[in-house]
Amino acid sequence: MNVDIADLTRRFGRNQAVAGVTLQAGPGVFGLLGPNGAGKTSLLRMMATVIPPSSGTMRLLDRDPGSYDSRREIRRRLGYLPQSLGYYPGFTVAEFVEYFALLKDMPPGRVPKAVAGAIERVDLGAKARAKLRTLSGGMLRRVGIAQAIVNGPELLLLDEPTAGLDPEQRVQFRALLRDLGKQATVVVSTHLVEDVGAACTEVALMDAGRIVFRGTPAELAAKGTDQDTGDAPLERGYTAALAQARALTRTQ
Amino acid sequence: MTGNDDVDLDRVWLGIATEVWRRRPGRAERVAGRLLRSPGLARVLFTTPSLLMPWLIATIVVLGAGVAATRSSGQPLVALLAPGLAAAAIAYAYGPGIDPAWELSCSMAVSDRMVLLVRALAVFAVNAVLGLLASAVSGAVAAVAVGWLMPMAALCALALAVATVARSAIAGATAGLAVWAITVLSVRVASGQVTAVVTRGVLVLPYLTVAACCALVAVHATRIPKGTSR
Repeated sequence: MNVDIADLTRRFGRNQAVAGVTLQAGPGVFGLLGPNGAGKTSLLRMMATVIPPSSGTMRLLDRDPGSYDSRREIRRRLGYLPQSLGYYPGFTVAEFVEYFALLKDMPPGRVPKAVAGAIERVDLGAKARAKLRTLSGGMLRRVGIAQAIVNGPELLLLDEPTAGLDPEQRVQFRALLRDLGKQATVVVSTHLVEDVGAACTEVALMDAGRIVFRGTPAELAAKGTDQDTGDAPLERGYTAALAQARALTRTQ
Repeated sequence: MTGNDDVDLDRVWLGIATEVWRRRPGRAERVAGRLLRSPGLARVLFTTPSLLMPWLIATIVVLGAGVAATRSSGQPLVALLAPGLAAAAIAYAYGPGIDPAWELSCSMAVSDRMVLLVRALAVFAVNAVLGLLASAVSGAVAAVAVGWLMPMAALCALALAVATVARSAIAGATAGLAVWAITVLSVRVASGQVTAVVTRGVLVLPYLTVAACCALVAVHATRIPKGTSR
């Protein structure tokens, strides 16, 4: 299992962002759905080894990120797109992707080809030598995706990757996700259920720091009825699963 | 046209793009990569904001003005300017306050602490060399010309500690400059000599203590997360 998490929690002061998540994931595209504040970003940040958990156990790529050497090895094989991607406005697209390829400890000889490949995969070839400050929000998002995939990661963590992308780019991106998921574990945090339906093989729904549903997109869609809110079966399944989980919490 | 004559245009284009988009590191960066045994660390070093050309030019201009003022007034202004300049440079060398992609940088294989160490040492060394050159040109006596290195170390450690704890380069630079201004004025009032702040032997121990304590604070503030607890 590339991701093996048991009873993971994360607190920020008095606020418990993640409250006992247990999750296993192998190769494939794993969707993490949930409303704002559900704990998706905190869970992803822990998996990206940016913040440590408050309690629980986590193994990534069969290693314990708690030890220095293992964490370094995990980070070499990791791709991460944060929700808010800061960028260096004076860098070109190619320089930015190369910068993070080097920070991922890629062998220097492999870097130029990997950079070109990653830029081509996100369809930014025409802008490879453009300064980042000249790019639109959607293009910057694609630059972020390029740096995340430049090292051919075995574990790819994407936080709201389709934010700012136009419909055509989103369709292309879903195809890229399906392609990446053939070999790697791709965890995509989003609140756009149509992305999950189109690209994910498995989905988990989070609410109040807990996973309240786990299954395939079809199983989630099957939870919905015509009475539930939503324009598509998956949206109705999403609202139904969320409502059931909240009703259960209230009765406990 | 037979199958053998088919050309994989995607592959050809990728080869062309690889060559066209390839960044060619300068000689200094290549040497640093070999010395540090990490091209990533070398790249990080050569993107340090306070080691970029505009910052270095500004430092040289300020020190040059200090040299001119020292030669015309006889007051050791270079010795008073150099520690403050170095403290500001250190504050702008590392941390969330200056790195827009900090969140991403925290998930990278090249360790934060190595980045901190390499950048801080490089900025200190560059500022020390520039300061020593300016001191030599200004014609200061030996005790003054090198006496500021100790307070410079203390101020740099202070600025770094404040910048990392407050996650703000401005806070670090302000703390360094403010503490230095207060120290210079206090020592001048107490001793009657403006050079006393860099020449009095009795101040060496306090400078060393401040440097050591602030370095410990910076190390603690950038400690490696504990990871999973069981």
